[in-house]
Amino acid sequence: MAVPTESHPHLGQPENPNLSDPSPEPDDLDDFEAEIDEEDNDESEEDDEESEPITPEAQMRVDRVSMESLFKRLSTERVPVRVHDVLIKGNTKTKDFVIEAEVEALLKNATTVQQLLQAAGVANARLQQLDIFDSVNITLDAGPPELPGTANVVVEVSEAKNPLTGDVGIFSKPEARSWSLEGSLKLKNLFGYGDLWDGSVAYGWGQASEVSAGVSVPKFKALATPLTARISLLSQDWLKFSSYKEKALGLSLGLLSIGNHDLSYNLSWRTLTDPSQMASHSVRRQLGHGLLSALKYTFKIDRRNSPLRPTRGYAFLSTTHISGLVPDNRSLRFIRQEFDLRYAVPLGFYHAALNFGISGGFIFPWGRGFLNTPSYLPERFFLGGNSSPVCTLRGPTSILGFKARGLGPAEPRRQERGNSNNESSDASTGMDFIGGDLAATAFADLSFDLPLRVFREAGIHGHAFACTGSLTKLTENAHRELSFQKLRESFRCSAGFGIIVPTKLFRMEVNYCYILKQHEHDQGKTGVQFSFSSPL
Amino acid sequence: MEDGNEEREKLTLVARKPCFGLPTACPTCLPVYVYLRFAHLPLKLEFNLIHPDSDQIPFVESGNYVAYNNERGGVIWSLKEDGIVDLDSDVRGIPEWVSTKAMVESWLADAVMYELWVGSDGKSAYKIYYSDLPWPIGKILYLKQVRAVKQLLGITSENAERREEEIYRRSTSAYGALSSRLGEESFFFENRPTSLDAVVLGHVLFTLHALPETSLLRSKLLDHTNLVKFAESHKAEYIDANSSASVPESDPSTSASRRGPSQWSSKPKSKPKREKTEEEKKFRRRTKYFLVTQLVAVLVFLSLLGGSNDAEVELEDDDDALNYD
Repeated sequence: MAVPTESHPHLGQPENPNLSDPSPEPDDLDDFEAEIDEEDNDESEEDDEESEPITPEAQMRVDRVSMESLFKRLSTERVPVRVHDVLIKGNTKTKDFVIEAEVEALLKNATTVQQLLQAAGVANARLQQLDIFDSVNITLDAGPPELPGTANVVVEVSEAKNPLTGDVGIFSKPEARSWSLEGSLKLKNLFGYGDLWDGSVAYGWGQASEVSAGVSVPKFKALATPLTARISLLSQDWLKFSSYKEKALGLSLGLLSIGNHDLSYNLSWRTLTDPSQMASHSVRRQLGHGLLSALKYTFKIDRRNSPLRPTRGYAFLSTTHISGLVPDNRSLRFIRQEFDLRYAVPLGFYHAALNFGISGGFIFPWGRGFLNTPSYLPERFFLGGNSSPVCTLRGPTSILGFKARGLGPAEPRRQERGNSNNESSDASTGMDFIGGDLAATAFADLSFDLPLRVFREAGIHGHAFACTGSLTKLTENAHRELSFQKLRESFRCSAGFGIIVPTKLFRMEVNYCYILKQHEHDQGKTGVQFSFSSPL
Repeated sequence: MEDGNEEREKLTLVARKPCFGLPTACPTCLPVYVYLRFAHLPLKLEFNLIHPDSDQIPFVESGNYVAYNNERGGVIWSLKEDGIVDLDSDVRGIPEWVSTKAMVESWLADAVMYELWVGSDGKSAYKIYYSDLPWPIGKILYLKQVRAVKQLLGITSENAERREEEIYRRSTSAYGALSSRLGEESFFFENRPTSLDAVVLGHVLFTLHALPETSLLRSKLLDHTNLVKFAESHKAEYIDANSSASVPESDPSTSASRRGPSQWSSKPKSKPKREKTEEEKKFRRRTKYFLVTQLVAVLVFLSLLGGSNDAEVELEDDDDALNYD
């Protein structure tokens, strides 16, 4: 048989130019046999063999010998084959092109049997990932007898009998800023396009609640990327921290999701109100309605070995948010950029690792008179909170030791009534944290296993950390007064150690934090604290 | 930052946007502005253009002190309680003053609310409250507000005409009472400004300048020339003189309607409107009947046609079957 000498680096088969070596490598054979096991009803009939009338035992021996020689040949030589046809069976509701789009190109590109088997495995995984089938079987069959060296691939799918499923869990939606407890109902494949409809209700950690409904289509006609659309009504209560409540009715469209890139469009109507009537001056000026029409581009690389306890690798995330894309100059207009960089170095003993991270971001308005307008309050950066900077990749948001929204520019709230003559009114005036336009955080974290075996097996480990962060205002000509010295002085620091308990849903930490430096109105507290984070 | 803090210590009134030649065109904010002008307080005027459905506006602030309009009976009352300004100390005990103020704050306030949101085509309301919000938000909030006003005034589709009559009747008698109370004086009581004068002045200026010329309420007000003179003279003295810098240039579309007091004209809608609505209702009813009949006819036709088609098709099939055999 003529042996093609093309090379296919992505297949994982070892390069073997000298194919006349008949001895099979045990690894190849194992992988090969494993692939055979993956496919159900895998039959490889290469040639029709004439059967002579011989005893059953002899027949079995002959068959076994021929199968073994076939396996040997398949594992050592590149047996060329061409896929003649891909047949799709079992789809009563799902449109053919949905399944073909996932598997056809993959299968038709295979030129040897080994490639075909591998491609079949990948195609199986992809179809399972669509989440609309109960089971997927891929069978390789001989091609039509008049065309030698061809194979037919039969894809048999079994559609989900019950299209409606319910789910309760802890997730993170792109619109919500923190993770949340969510209950959702999913309707699968309503129209046969592989579409997934879902409605969900979520309660979040930051006093947020959200009701939303969405649809996602894996491949709509000729478009190469999956499309998602989501309508949501989100309400967040920041009265305790910044004296305002936020309500947002929004529509978001996922436009592009290829590899590490993600592009989405968001149109939402935001309303800020203050039912407590205690807001500070800056917050009072921002109460009202606004229309946000924004494009969000995210670039993410995560090469760490584990999102919950990274011990090796790096991660980079950059999010760019450009708002004000309607020609109407009355809508909210700003540019917001944030980035995260994480790096983990293993230390070799006690499963220890050193994690470094740095995050930064800025927001600035644009449009007419942008130098004098303040940035939009809910989109500013707020530091503090109880989530660990090691797992969360959400921009500059967390410094352990400080309360949620507990540091940065602050303004006094409205004076209490009847205290205008009272000298001690200063103590009762609360402060509103109004966030900042330029934020930066950095941390270093040393994690290690605890000496007891029971902890090690449960995944409970210890860590020591140091964090720092800064939050400053840039808009309304504040950037003119900003100097390097002032920026350096604006950094707050904290350090501490603690124990991390990873559970299935989230990561819980019990930390002792010591505040090394904080400013006058910051809410950092030295002591024992709990912190929860989700790797999403 | 120091300048910023000093700025914040000044007495500031946050109101809705200025237009129609008025320093603030909202009927709840204008009386507060006039009151502060009567008190000769150094005042800074700022505007909130994005929260038309807030009942906190207008509010007065100075440093960390804020007096909202939805607390303790309003801004004017809060300013008196907190010792900032009180023009009513002498007149508060006069029963006539109290009842006149109550009449203005209920009957005339209702009339203006009706005229602005229900009785006219909504252009004035849109300009004052929603012209600085993006279109979809403005439209939805406007419709919400119209519904809320109808609910507040107790207007339903059955009693709409009755309520309208009642509101106009009350405003007519209120104007008559105010006119005879004022006579030829400059102020209503004790020949000096009180909050009653501020409220009446605010109402009259709003009705004259911001409501369209076809407004019935406006035409009723124009019948009382002494009220109109009262408004114009005080506007010239307290408002235009003090705030010539802050009142913006009126845009060309409203300059046509802004004429002197001697040239006020009115084109009120009157009785013909009511007859028209009767005719309109009859016409609408007839159109509905016509459309329903048409729809029924189409449905009957389709079902008959569909039935006969099936019969024809079956016959054809039988023919084919026979051919094969």
